[in-house]
Amino acid sequence: MQNGEHFGMEDETYTDIDGKAISLECQSHSGFCREFTVSSAKVSISRVMVYTCAVWMTAYIIFFFTENTAVLSSAIIITLVGMMIHIHFVKVDHETLLVIGSLGVQVSSSYASGRESTDFIEMDKIKDIVINEAIHMQRVIYYLCILLKDPSDPSGVSSVVPLFQSSKPRLNCLVKVYRSCQEILAKC
Amino acid sequence: MVENSPSPLPERAIYGFVLFLGSQFGFFLYLVWAYVPEEWLHSIGLTYWPQKYWAIGVPVYLLAAVVVCVVMLFGVNMINTAPLCSVDNITDVYARGQRMVDCQKRAIPRLKDVSISDVNRMFYSSPQ
Repeated sequence: MQNGEHFGMEDETYTDIDGKAISLECQSHSGFCREFTVSSAKVSISRVMVYTCAVWMTAYIIFFFTENTAVLSSAIIITLVGMMIHIHFVKVDHETLLVIGSLGVQVSSSYASGRESTDFIEMDKIKDIVINEAIHMQRVIYYLCILLKDPSDPSGVSSVVPLFQSSKPRLNCLVKVYRSCQEILAKC
Repeated sequence: MVENSPSPLPERAIYGFVLFLGSQFGFFLYLVWAYVPEEWLHSIGLTYWPQKYWAIGVPVYLLAAVVVCVVMLFGVNMINTAPLCSVDNITDVYARGQRMVDCQKRAIPRLKDVSISDVNRMFYSSPQ
């Protein structure tokens, strides 16, 4: 089995659209199978502590004025439940794109709690994998997306699947993934 | 053919002056209604006026409506922006329906929408 090439260790550092550092890892399993993993920054313990302290201080101040203990217990419950929901549903640890020539494409998101959500798209449905620009929240960003074929119109696009939604890498990272994907798609 | 030019014309001068007089009269009437006490107006014989509360109410409502409209305009724009998963970012009904007529040799090609795959190949595949 071939070893993976770790592009995260090159001199080129990748960032996402907000400037936070991310890392890209490209693994070439065989001539027609490649896997790309974009990892975001992990949950930072200092941010967690800052948020927890802020919430508990506000709850204590409110308790100081209202003398209602329900404020304190509700603050604790809100903090715990909020953290659990965040790491299980919101915080994405890494996103993976696995391209297998003539078989299909697998897109997988792994969350901070370990939960993984995976989607597989057959190669017959895929028209192309392209880098598109679109307006997103008062900005224009580049994003990699899979164009799906329209069954009724062979040259048309029926729907779009955007990739790397949570990590949102910048153009240098996307171009690398794009060129690698196009090599595989051109073969099959 | 009627020319649409913004130059001053006699009719426009008359419209402007009528509007000016009307707005000055309307403002004077508003001040009279807001400040003159009810008894004086009743003693003259003018009894059917709106409540004086509206002399404050209407301007405040209008200002609040302006502020809400600014916020809502921002929100409406965000709602109307196509999400990243929408086909409207790739193509639309006019690009799909364009005729691909082959151009003659040595002629400038017809203006058309280039597909996103070709654009990507030009930008990112060719070594630059």
